[in-house]
Amino acid sequence: MSEEKCYHCGDDIIGKPIMADNHEFCCNGCKSVYQLLNDNNLGNFYQLEQGAGIRPSESNQHKFAFLDVENIRTKIIEFEDDQFARVNLYLPSIHCSSCIYLLENSSKIEPAIASCQVNFAKREASIVFDKTKLSLAELALFLDKIGYSPNFGNRGQAEKKIDKQFMYKLGIAGFAFGSIMLWSFPEYLGIEGDNPEFRNFTAYLSFAVSLPVLFYSASEYFISAYKALRFKTLNLDVPITIGIIALYAQSSYSIIIGDGPGYMDSFAGFIFFLLIGKWFQNKTYKMLSFERDYTSYFPLAITRIKGHEEEIVEIEELKEGDSILLRNEEVLPCDATLLSDEAKIDYSFVTGESNHIIRKKGDFIYAGGKLIGQRTMLRVDKESNRSQLTRMWNEVKSDKKEHSGFLYQNTLSLYFLTGLLIVAFIASIGWLFVDPSQITRIVVSILIVACPCALALSAPFTFGNVMRMLGRKGLYLKNTGVIERINEVTDIVFDKTGTLTTGSVEKVEFLGDPMTEEEEAMIMTLANSSTHPLSRLIALTLKNKGIKGDLEISEFIEKQGKGISGTINSVQCMLGSATYCEMEAIDKNETATYVKIGKKVGRFVFSSDLRIGLPEMIKRLKDYRLHVLSGDKDSDKSLLESFFPTNANILFNQTPKDKLDYIKELKRQGKHVMMIGDGLNDAGALGSADVGIAVSEDVFRFTPSSDAIIEASKLSSLDKLVEISRFSKSVLRACLVFSLSYNVVGLSFAISGNLSPLIAAILMPISSITVVLLSTFLVFWRKNN
Amino acid sequence: MIFFSNSKEFWNMGMIYIMLIVSLVIALFFLASFFWATKEGQFDDDYTPSVRILFDDESNQKPNQQSNGSTEV
Repeated sequence: MSEEKCYHCGDDIIGKPIMADNHEFCCNGCKSVYQLLNDNNLGNFYQLEQGAGIRPSESNQHKFAFLDVENIRTKIIEFEDDQFARVNLYLPSIHCSSCIYLLENSSKIEPAIASCQVNFAKREASIVFDKTKLSLAELALFLDKIGYSPNFGNRGQAEKKIDKQFMYKLGIAGFAFGSIMLWSFPEYLGIEGDNPEFRNFTAYLSFAVSLPVLFYSASEYFISAYKALRFKTLNLDVPITIGIIALYAQSSYSIIIGDGPGYMDSFAGFIFFLLIGKWFQNKTYKMLSFERDYTSYFPLAITRIKGHEEEIVEIEELKEGDSILLRNEEVLPCDATLLSDEAKIDYSFVTGESNHIIRKKGDFIYAGGKLIGQRTMLRVDKESNRSQLTRMWNEVKSDKKEHSGFLYQNTLSLYFLTGLLIVAFIASIGWLFVDPSQITRIVVSILIVACPCALALSAPFTFGNVMRMLGRKGLYLKNTGVIERINEVTDIVFDKTGTLTTGSVEKVEFLGDPMTEEEEAMIMTLANSSTHPLSRLIALTLKNKGIKGDLEISEFIEKQGKGISGTINSVQCMLGSATYCEMEAIDKNETATYVKIGKKVGRFVFSSDLRIGLPEMIKRLKDYRLHVLSGDKDSDKSLLESFFPTNANILFNQTPKDKLDYIKELKRQGKHVMMIGDGLNDAGALGSADVGIAVSEDVFRFTPSSDAIIEASKLSSLDKLVEISRFSKSVLRACLVFSLSYNVVGLSFAISGNLSPLIAAILMPISSITVVLLSTFLVFWRKNN
Repeated sequence: MIFFSNSKEFWNMGMIYIMLIVSLVIALFFLASFFWATKEGQFDDDYTPSVRILFDDESNQKPNQQSNGSTEV
């Protein structure tokens, strides 16, 4: 048996393990999933990977009731007939091969499921189920019960189609490239003159095959070049388009006058290589979502109360003044006023803060809060799309300019084109004196050979390689364009809670009357008896001190959300809130659990803790100006000042709007800002910063929309990750030198009038391949250093 | 467009035209199957199938009603 680890979910067991079949479990949820799997002969789940399960969340029966609202249901169901329906569900907790095994065999547990197919890369499951026996809501509830709670936030479907279009383009270009090369073999071998009829035939065949390459595969380059010219800018697609057109025109001309297939092989190969470069660059992290907006956080529907009837309605249908009912763990989708007496609200989605806030009747509650505890009535004050949170989000959206392409390439293209025109001009003047009839041919050759294929490949491959390397080290970028923006960063802004400090409570401190070891054992025994998260933390802290909490307990009473009490060694022990323990609260701003053992009193104070290795990392970031924006009170000021440099700007009590304005102000000063944060309160700042990095304990969980996601445990190596990103500059420079030197060699052939299709066919792939190899080699060399 | 004065010339050159057309047809066939595979979504997920293939070996003690993993309804 693995020691002290839950057999199902692999987490550390705090307190007394729950036993079943000689296996230890951390909670009843895990145990019941285990028993469910075992009863259905799915024990293999535990053989594939150790502790692979997911602890099921405590859910209520109504959690997915909204799925049976007809409007919502039809949006989610992909296909249905009289008996069966098919859905494609996003299950973020899929994480290993055991998950695939369990889900694909789920029909053995729930016979109404006809089949289930998992797409691991997208964390999706395509499920066909018998809708006469199982409703969509019941299916969702079943998945939730075994630990795979489906998420119904809107996810982009449009990109899928574009992805496939791209594959078609690549396929056609590859097909044409191979075929034309095959037909050009007589040209390569110098025997093309032997049979003019045959040469003509293959030339026309090449022409036919190259048409879809020109009009379909290469179309995006033309469009991009056209767009750039229309906005009076330049990108690398402009010289590429010029080269493509020169290649194609020259080859078509050569075919029509019966002079062989010309450069058709180079043309098709060129497009093929370019598309491969693009494909490599676009192989991003499909399973991560960088584009979540507030709708992914909000529920799709909510219970509205009309008169005495409850009805489930879509969020969009809510009107001001409606009464709504919120259940445990449900998120409030709009700004509202509390109608019930008291409610406990968890704002961790919004602020990253894990402490719960108590609100009283008549209080105003902002959208985004999650209700903890019993059902609560609220009155809608503002419709969902007009709530404070939503408004800020929309503001950022319009503010954010999408950078596309590689910035450096735009200036480079300018130099490149000017240089090209100068060379072509000088060459044509030179040939005016030698042989004026050759000028057109020479200029076309120059345009052909100068086509920056290798140059166009160097960026996608370098950035693609660097992006993958960063991904392996825990920093996931939205796209390769982010690398370039990281390299320009001058200022780094940190959020405090959840970013510099761990979001959850980590440090537990005991204050009060000193306790003997026996009394500590009594506290631990009491804490062990409860599943409340704070009790678990107390138990864990005492366990780490070497205390054993296995005493006899009698008259145990648990008051939900208030405290626990019991008699141990004939002493009355109490653990809970100050009022529960009949004491005065000492500091209302702290999170504390009070203890009363006989006459002795004290309290456990919970505080968040700095991430490991963080102070060292901050000290290594001396090339940047640092800022801290905290939404909290300044209780941690001295702690932060102890390791942040003196010129760092540390601000407290910042609202989400303040953070956003701060970033905007920095940008206005011409700074390039990297914002690192978590939680929705940073969403505005993350969106408006040049580089917004969301910190996440689990990268598949909710993160606000951002340019990159970093694993929380890897934040302490941020400086190294930025360093790697910066290295891409050097690699690019090396590739640039290489590809330009190939262009110079090609130009010397073109200017002297010696460029032939054969030379082009050799030069083009060689230059492209060396650049690809060089960039790959350099990035891997850096990784191993 | 193409004329052969005698059978010898046909066997020399005519054959290569036929082979060329045949090779083009074969290449088009593979291009079409590539399109089909893309459309079917065979390149969408390159991880799950590699895991799934291992399951059948382990769990063959039970009749597997979804061995082809089809989503037909």
